[in-house]
Formats: sequence, C-alpha cells, structure tokens
Amino acid sequence: MNIEPVNNKMCTHLTPLKQKFPTCSMNRKSRWEKRRGQERHGPEAKPEDSVPHGTCTTMCPISEVRRRETQRQLHCFEIERGTENEHMPRADLSRTVKEYSRPAAGKDSTRACDLRPPDVLFKTVCYLVDEIAASPTLQPWTEVYSFVFDRLRSVRQDMVIQRVSGRKCVAVLERTVRFHLYASYRLCGAPLRLFDPHINDTHLQECLSWLLECYNEGQCEHQAEFQALSLLYNLGSTRTLQRALELPEKVRLSPPVQLALAVNRAYMECNPVRLLRLAQKLDFIQACALHRHLLSCRRDLLLLYSHGHNSRNCRFPIQKLADVLYLEGSLADQLCQAHGLQVTGDCVVFSKASFSESPCKEMQCTQMHKLVDDKQQDLSVGKILHGIV
Amino acid sequence: MFTAFQAHKEENWALSMMFAVTLDLRIFANNAEQQLQKKGKGKVGDMLEKAAEQLMSCFRVCASDNRAGIEDSKKWGMLFLVNQLFKIYFKINKLHLCKPLIRAIDSSNLKDDYSMAQRVTYKYYVGRKAMFDSDFKLAEEYLSFSFQHSHRSCQRNKRLILIYLLPVKMLLGHMPTNQLLKKYDLLQFADVTKAVSEGNLLLLNEALAKHETFFIRCGIFLILEKLKIITYRNLFKKVYHLLKTHQLPLGAFLVALKMMQMEDVDIDEVQCILANLIYMGHIKGYISHQHQKLVVSKQNPFPPLSSVS
Repeated sequence: MNIEPVNNKMCTHLTPLKQKFPTCSMNRKSRWEKRRGQERHGPEAKPEDSVPHGTCTTMCPISEVRRRETQRQLHCFEIERGTENEHMPRADLSRTVKEYSRPAAGKDSTRACDLRPPDVLFKTVCYLVDEIAASPTLQPWTEVYSFVFDRLRSVRQDMVIQRVSGRKCVAVLERTVRFHLYASYRLCGAPLRLFDPHINDTHLQECLSWLLECYNEGQCEHQAEFQALSLLYNLGSTRTLQRALELPEKVRLSPPVQLALAVNRAYMECNPVRLLRLAQKLDFIQACALHRHLLSCRRDLLLLYSHGHNSRNCRFPIQKLADVLYLEGSLADQLCQAHGLQVTGDCVVFSKASFSESPCKEMQCTQMHKLVDDKQQDLSVGKILHGIV
Repeated sequence: MFTAFQAHKEENWALSMMFAVTLDLRIFANNAEQQLQKKGKGKVGDMLEKAAEQLMSCFRVCASDNRAGIEDSKKWGMLFLVNQLFKIYFKINKLHLCKPLIRAIDSSNLKDDYSMAQRVTYKYYVGRKAMFDSDFKLAEEYLSFSFQHSHRSCQRNKRLILIYLLPVKMLLGHMPTNQLLKKYDLLQFADVTKAVSEGNLLLLNEALAKHETFFIRCGIFLILEKLKIITYRNLFKKVYHLLKTHQLPLGAFLVALKMMQMEDVDIDEVQCILANLIYMGHIKGYISHQHQKLVVSKQNPFPPLSSVS
C-alpha cells in the first residue's frame, strides 16, 4: 500500500500519517464503481489485472437460458414461437436477453462465461432498440418498456463489472439515455404500476451523469447533443447549468447547447412566453427532455398573467392566450378554468385572487402533447433511439 | 490517531494537535491531487475525498463527546473541522455534503463562542451555500457578518467574501460604490453595477460576456444573470419617467428593449416581462391588453428595490 505518484520529500515528511490512513491508496476504479450506486457490484479494491473479461457471445448466458426455461421465467418476448402453449415453453436463443439480477451475498456475478464482452453488449442494445422498442407488433408499449428497461439495466451491470469504458460504453449509454427520455414522454400519464416516472428519472439521471463523465475522459462526438438534453431535462438546475458553463468552449458554443442555455435563461428570467417560443425550435428528443416541465411552465404563465392583468374591467382574448401557450383554444380554455380563472365568451378574466396554484385533476399532461407530437412526424422509434435524424 | 484522541476522555488538550494534523492532511491531499492531475492519473477529487473521510471520523469523535464538562469538551474542535471539510467540499463541488455539518453546528450551543476567525470562515461558506440555494437573504446576513468581522489586515479574505457578497447585495438592490470596487481590486463588477443601475441591458450583457471567465470560475455568473430582472425594472422606470404619464403604451417598452438589442422580442414578451415584474412587486399596476397599455399606480409605481423581497 503506497501513495505512488506523490513527491518523495512530502512522503517522508508525513510517513507516520500515511500509516495511520491506510485507505488512502484504495484503488481508484473501485471508487468509481462505488459511485455507480445501485449498479455496484463485486468485491471492492480489486487490482486491475483481476477485472473479469466476459466470454459469453450470446445476449444471454446459456446457463441462464436453461435455468429460466426450467423455472418457466421466460418473458413472452423470449419464447420460441409455437411453443408458447406447451407445458414448458422453450427459449428462442436469438431473442433471449440476460435479465438484471440484484447483487446478493454469496452470488458470484463475475464469472467470465456469464459476462458479455463490450461488442456483445452493444449488439444486445441494438437488438433491444431495433427488434423490441421499435417493433410495431409488440404490444402494449408499457410491456416493451419494462422489458427493455430491465435488459438495459443488466447491460449496464455487465459494463460495471468489467469496467467497460470508451467508445462502446458511450454508445450503449447514449441509446439508454434516449430510451429513458423517449419513455418519459411516451408513457407520460400511464398508470403508476406500469410506469413510474420517478424510477425512470432515477435511472435516466444515473446514465446521464455516467455518460457526461465519459465525455470528460475523451470520446465526445455527441457531447453537445447530450449536454443539451441534460440541460433541458434538468431545466433550471443550478448544478447542471454551472457544469455547462464550465464546458470547453467548443461544446458550450455549439448550437444545441446554446439553444438549451437560452431555454434555461428564459426559465430563470421567469419568461415563459420566450421559453415556449424557444421550445418550438427543439427537435423531437429534445422536446421529450423538456416535456416534463411544460405543464408547470404553462401554469407559471397563467400565474404571471393573473397578477399582471389583474383588473376587473380587463379582458384577455382566449385565442391570444392560446397562441402564447402553444395550445389549441379549447385546451387553453380548459387550462384557465382548471386554475380557477373565469372564461366568458372568448375572453379570460385574469384575477390574482381567483387563480389557484393546484389545478383540478382533470388536466392531464397528455392532453397537451401536441407541441412534442408534432415534432415526431415520421421519425421511427428506432431512428429516435439511435439518434439518426 | 483518533483512537488515541478518543481515549483521552474528559480532556481536550489534544485539540490543538488535531488542528495542526488535520490542516496538514488537507493541504497534503490538495498537493497530492494537483500532482496526480499533472500526471493525468487518478480520478479528480479522489485524494481530497479520502482526506474528507478522515476528517469526518475526527468530527464524529468531537461531536459525540457529550460526557465531558464544557471546558474540557472536544466539541470545541467541531467548527475547525467543519471549516476544513467545507473547503474540501467546495473544491470538489459536493455542496450537498455540507448540510449535515451545518445542522450540527446550528444545533450546537457553542456556536457563538468559537473563535472569531473560525466563525468568519464558517459564515463565509454557509453564506456561499445559501447563495447557491437561492436563499439570498440568509446569504447576505452570513456574508455580511464575515465581511464585517474579518480582520482588517486580511484584505485577500475580504476580497473573497466580496466576490459573493456583491452579487447578493445587488440582487437585493444595494449597489457598491466604485471606490469599494477599486479598493478590493474588483473592477470586474464596475460595468455590471453601472448597467444594472442605469437599466442598460446591452451594457449588462457586454459586461457579463467580457468577464465571463472570471465570473464562471467564481461560480457567480448565474447569479449575476439574475440581475437582468432588476435591469428591466430600471429600464422600464426610465420609460415611465420619460413619458410622464400613468398609462404607458406597451409599444414604448418594446422600443426600449429593441434599443437594447434584445433578440427577436415582441409585444407578447413585453407583456410577459411586465407581468413578471408586477408579480414580483417591482411595479405597482396592471396591464390592459385591450388598450395595449400598462397602467401604473399614481403612488410609488416603482417601489424601492430594498422594500421588495
């Protein structure tokens, strides 16, 4: 145990200290692994040379296929066609994917034959994107989501155990982040037992920060794209903004980051009119990232207008309001009423006294998806997740 | 070391030793960190984090020393350790770790009896944290305390405090004098101050762009951007003084904003900016969409900034 690269003179000067603090030379990678939070795995402080390298060439190790076959734990997307109704459905090896399993005491998750090397991991992700997530036949999409969610998680687990970094790691994470962003929009409003926005958010944030960390170590082809997504998804977060400001100029001044910063600036200046206007310039996946803030942004606009136009004799045309809210007239009408504002004919009467912060439950975010929907046009899910525009 | 330290029950003579050792440890970790970075080895902040772990164990020993009488208590070591930890956490950008430490000190009955030097440092960091959490009133209180109580010979420290105190004061409507800025070599703020008080949005943007690197490095760029809202208020107040009426056409504000080269601004945005200023209490009045006018109160339409919270 040695503090290796530090100047010798200092070491001798502080020798007694060094002995008192033996943890000082803990392996750096293990710290990094520790930070991966729930994906953490394996014994800590392993020397580099004992990092396992996977030898499994299929998406699912054969032992797991057999085990899940006998335990009848195959997902319906994995069963060989034609055997669904048999007593013991068989696995289709080309469609079975290693599932996520929680690390537990006594379980050895570092066996090389159970781990997939980076190439196989990337192919697995492509399979999940192309054949599952983008499939027009697999229904319902909440089931698709829970399958892909779990299998992507196991991909990340394999990456952590093998300490995969570099290009392949970035490619996997980029698709994972896009998947979670897309899901946060597509499944918005789905029942909680099928889609939990909070859990989706946790995984998304984790992948995103891992990915941005990878960019700091090089590999930055899509850095600007994902920095922008991070800024939009974490709208108004000072931490994210401060990080973005510290980026190298080349990234910071790139068009997507500049646009995302402008959206954030509009948010910080409490200017929802500008914010919604800038939102029109976003592409589909960027709009997905911003989408969770749109409802509160529209509410802010009504709040400000309720105070600004607070006079008994003043009327505000609903169509004008709908234009700045980027909503259809009838929806703007509903939104106003949900917030306790009186709508007479084609005008709103703004009043700070009658504005209520918490709308009645009827207003669903999904009703206002048009702003994002319009951007999808004929983009396929596959193209969205691969980032091909 | 802590075991030995912990073993001395009801005694705290070892505190001054602990101070020296922990200070050395932090500086040592700092140097180690720099050397590792130079060689491109190791994870950023790793060395400092490890030092923080050790400091934390010392802190636990001190904080849990409940038995000893107050004079002999190791609790007297808490604030020093907290300050060392703050220095590390701010450096590695993990401000959220400060929260439990602040709670520990806040609930301590010794908090006003530590040495002034330690209290000044403590308030400086807590003030900075409050600022990042957008709690400007608290930030002003703590940073002002630090500034007023730091020793007159510590020009450098006072300057550091001012870097954070100035933006907070400005947000609350107190502008620094040029004299002060000159004295502490903080002329980077001169144009910002001038722009905000004159309502000169264009100059503000230029000033922020010009000293961008400095402001970003200090972590105050985002706070300074918040001064825009006050700048709008001051600009619109000028419009009011020029037109000398209580019913101000919205077009006039649009002209003012365009003059300041605000990008693709239109009348809808003017309404939004005005609505926000009314909401925040910077303007007393209302907007009439039918007449496209801002109607302001006859009394005190632009209340003084310091009265608006």
